Amino acid sequence: MHNTMMKMAKLMGMLGGLVLFALIAVTTLSVIGRMLNTIGHSFAFLESTLTIFGPIKGDYEIVEAGVAFAIMAFFPWCQLNRSHASVELFTSMLPTSANRFLALIWELVFALVLMLLAWRLYVGMLAKMRYGETTFLLQFPIWWGYAACAFAAFIAAIVAAYSVYLHGKELIAGEDLVDIDRSLGH
Amino acid sequence: MSELQFGMLSMPVLLVLIFLRMPIGLAMLIVGLGGTAWVTGGSLVVLAKLKTETFTTFSSYSLSIVPLFLLMGQLATLGGMSAALFKAAETWLGHKKGGVAMAAIGACAGFGSICGSSLATAATMGQVALPELKRYGYSGGLSTATLAAGGTLGILIPPSVVLVIYAILTEQNIAKLFLAAFIPGFLAALGYMITIRLYMYFNPGSAQVRQRVAYIDRFKALFDVWPVLIIFFLVVGGIYLGWFTPTEAAAIGAAGTGIIAWVNGGLTKNGLVESIMATASNTAMIFIIILGAGFYNAFLALTQVPQEISTYIISQGFSPWIVLLIILGLYLIFGCVMDSLSMIFLTIPIFFPIISELDFGLTSEETAIWFGILVLIVVEVGLITPPVGMNLFVINAMDKKTRIVDTYKAVLPFVASDIIRTGILVAFPSITLVLMRWFY
Repeated sequence: MHNTMMKMAKLMGMLGGLVLFALIAVTTLSVIGRMLNTIGHSFAFLESTLTIFGPIKGDYEIVEAGVAFAIMAFFPWCQLNRSHASVELFTSMLPTSANRFLALIWELVFALVLMLLAWRLYVGMLAKMRYGETTFLLQFPIWWGYAACAFAAFIAAIVAAYSVYLHGKELIAGEDLVDIDRSLGH
Repeated sequence: MSELQFGMLSMPVLLVLIFLRMPIGLAMLIVGLGGTAWVTGGSLVVLAKLKTETFTTFSSYSLSIVPLFLLMGQLATLGGMSAALFKAAETWLGHKKGGVAMAAIGACAGFGSICGSSLATAATMGQVALPELKRYGYSGGLSTATLAAGGTLGILIPPSVVLVIYAILTEQNIAKLFLAAFIPGFLAALGYMITIRLYMYFNPGSAQVRQRVAYIDRFKALFDVWPVLIIFFLVVGGIYLGWFTPTEAAAIGAAGTGIIAWVNGGLTKNGLVESIMATASNTAMIFIIILGAGFYNAFLALTQVPQEISTYIISQGFSPWIVLLIILGLYLIFGCVMDSLSMIFLTIPIFFPIISELDFGLTSEETAIWFGILVLIVVEVGLITPPVGMNLFVINAMDKKTRIVDTYKAVLPFVASDIIRTGILVAFPSITLVLMRWFY
């Protein structure tokens, strides 16, 4: 099970990363297109060649929908890698077992919150579907973005639930079971 | 209990949860949602809000700059530019007393101009500079402290993720903030170099110097860092000249650093996976804070707490400078235990309305930008203040032979230099604002 969960979290992270790269490509090409177009309009002898280029229509709508999925897809890995920011100074005075107990409780709360977010995203998606809302320029349904984001949130909730189990196991066993990578500001 | 009292009460509750090691973003989210439910008398409003709020926050065009800058920083670490930067700085500074350490600072500043993250800058430059520092006999403490301090330049020198967040929270112009961060960033690097020189003066003979390098080789080494310059001018200059939006600039910067990494052979499969996963951890960590802070601050606004606090403090007629110094002092204290972004999200909604009501003899925009740079500096000091300065941990972990206590001791002069610089920037707002006034 551990391997499945790790793979799933990594896969989601890579998917989010790929989407991010795609958004970078779309944005960069759109800017280049816009600039070529501007140059074409500034010089008469270039007008016929360069003005066939232009910005990608609705590029920022693609960015908005894509980045929402990417961010949500990054949560499972953040959860398993235990990268969330917290203040550890005061609890470091407590014994390790107390710290493991706190970690378990907060992970449980986190998992519940992620489930809540996933559920509400799904309900939000149904609403957008019902009203048939679309984006302004590209006219693609807004619920697509919601669906992708809700899917990622569901995976995050499942992974977080597994993470609760891991924390419980660590509390009972009294030892750390997960290797955390803290290099390069993970 | 009145709504105002309830809002006030939420602050100690939130702090207790955070000090009990609850993830900061989660704590803000829970208290924010719980508080809103109490004020609106049920869960209906909260549940309705949750239907759209998560997606709206995550799909924000202006916030999409955050993962893009994070990815750009990670790709920059793959590109091998850190080695070229260090070499260039070393040929110019290496023959001076403390020169290799100064070169590390200079290289950090250079790397900071394409990387908006402090930890990534410290970690990347650490890999290149730590072995060199050791070779020339620098003590473990000074080496690690130098790199930890140098790492903060990653976020002081634009592009900077913290400034982006500040700009969004306070509705200020990102280009102007970036421009204003320039001279303070340069002063920071200069201050660290002076600190190293003084350290050498008081501990003579603690390090060797390098051979002097011929000018032709110095310029050759400097020429090798041209990709960094191009990306920097494309990103920061492009935003300033209005060629593209900040988000577009971040995408172009990420593409540029990606291409450099690819050309230099750094874009291996493992390297790429590593940088994506690191971006993933950092992005999710930041966005749960953004989401939580959104809910918490909406709740506070509902209870009128920020307005009431601001009105109260203004009505007391304190000197604006005293208020400012107290606020900056609070950041220094909080910075010892908390990360910079969480602090910004927790405090700006309370402090910013106060500051913008006070009269420092500046226009309201100038005050906002000047305050933003001051906050940026004091929260970054938190990264190198013991006991929980993240940069100290990251660098110390890279050097197995140096005890964390030695790093703690050696970093104190750098912290002192930070505090002196903050004092200068507080006393003379024009230092921060001159570039902005000049260009706009």
